[in-house]
Amino acid sequence: MEPMEVFKVEIPGEPFGEKKYRELIMDILQDLGLIRSLGRLYVYMDIKRPAFAVYGLIRSGIPPLKVRDLGDVAKAEGGYQIKVNNEEHMADLLKALWAAYGRERAEQPMRDTVVIASDKDPSDMVVTDLEAKFRQDLTDALIRVAPEGFRNRRNEMTDNSFFFIAAEESLTLELVSEMREQIRRMENA
Amino acid sequence: MLEPVMFTGGVYKHDMVVELVEDLGGYVLQKNVSQSEVILLILLPSEDMPALKALVSELRGELVRAPLAGTEIAVVTPTLAIHHLPHSACDIAEYLRRNGAKTNMIGLARGVGREIAQINEYEAGLVNEHDAAVFIFGNFADCIKKKESLYRSISVPVIVTGGPEIQACNLPYAFEYVPTVGRVAHRAKKATELGSLDKIIDAVGRALDKARTDIAKDPLTTSPPRVMDAVREQVPEVEYSFAPLPIALDLNGVRVKLPYEEYADRVEAVKFDEGVNLGEVATVKPSKMKDYILVRILPASETGFTF
Repeated sequence: MEPMEVFKVEIPGEPFGEKKYRELIMDILQDLGLIRSLGRLYVYMDIKRPAFAVYGLIRSGIPPLKVRDLGDVAKAEGGYQIKVNNEEHMADLLKALWAAYGRERAEQPMRDTVVIASDKDPSDMVVTDLEAKFRQDLTDALIRVAPEGFRNRRNEMTDNSFFFIAAEESLTLELVSEMREQIRRMENA
Repeated sequence: MLEPVMFTGGVYKHDMVVELVEDLGGYVLQKNVSQSEVILLILLPSEDMPALKALVSELRGELVRAPLAGTEIAVVTPTLAIHHLPHSACDIAEYLRRNGAKTNMIGLARGVGREIAQINEYEAGLVNEHDAAVFIFGNFADCIKKKESLYRSISVPVIVTGGPEIQACNLPYAFEYVPTVGRVAHRAKKATELGSLDKIIDAVGRALDKARTDIAKDPLTTSPPRVMDAVREQVPEVEYSFAPLPIALDLNGVRVKLPYEEYADRVEAVKFDEGVNLGEVATVKPSKMKDYILVRILPASETGFTF
């Protein structure tokens, strides 16, 4: 999948800042592993006001992570055995299993093996909601991307897009609609 | 004239270097031991440099010139938040340290933004205790010009760094402006980025040279390394200070990292071979940094003599 179909940054009167901000946003999105989850990204900044806005389309539809996605589930004596292939979510897996079966029924005898003393098949159990994590990371990225003094922030997230605005002064309706208008202009350009 | 150099070598037999420096009338400013390696910052009379070079080559060590040795530089960022740290600020501080300077990183409480950026009296006072300051700004020319208010009240030379090219005439309060640094989200590793760091070092070097020239017009009564040596000898408790550099050298004095209330009198009473006390040739006052002691050596025009 391509990293981003459209990525536009517009900062009137600051050609150097425009170029650098592009690199900076790429660095931050790459650091947080978000670059492949965004379809389009429009960034507009008015340095004289000063105000900052980002509008992006999210490549949503990340399904919740289930036990069977993490490893092989096999029936064993007195219950089930999970052989974990992806250790990244081990902590989440144990947390989910302990919540469902209780600590005394879910054990980890080896680094990559979890044993459950129950007849209930854990394969379809949800380990973690990746979509929620992605949205948390995205919000973190937007706060990092915004210039530091811009402490008044507003983030509107829908299922497949987000609109983030930050400014030094209080956010007024006029400012929000003006920034939205600028982003729309960039979209239609 | 004392020449600042940095020795890097093994811990084994490094005492020979220290002894030679002391025998030749030089000073060991700082000693950093990390595992089996030792780094010494040294001030040595330039005519004796061949003797030290010979010993260092015998010990298979390395000796390089450290133009910023014996100076304290403030690296000032608008805040200590993730927007400014760790990348550009740490890179600059690290680069200054490699050239021998003692750096202190200062994050302003309310230095952020374009319209709302400000510096308070305490922060300005703290920066003024250094020999020079490097202010690290971002990528927008308009903001960098606007943020001049942050360093207008600073009396030491200020080197401003930022991203875009800006004419020096637009930043009248800065000693120099170094472009192509700005806000970045990665460590400096490309040749161009390292080149920009070298430019900062050069600018700081020029600022310190100017400060040295100003001091030379009315020389100090005694030299800061001599004060450091005397304090170290007569107030031995300073060696037990937890600070990595218990006595930091400035161009016009020293910062003794001991509590002012307890030790100021003893520091003032430090006696030199010439028969004068430190209190007679320097002002001893509380530093803005923690509860340390700040010693500022008086110029010859005030005391009427030098030694």
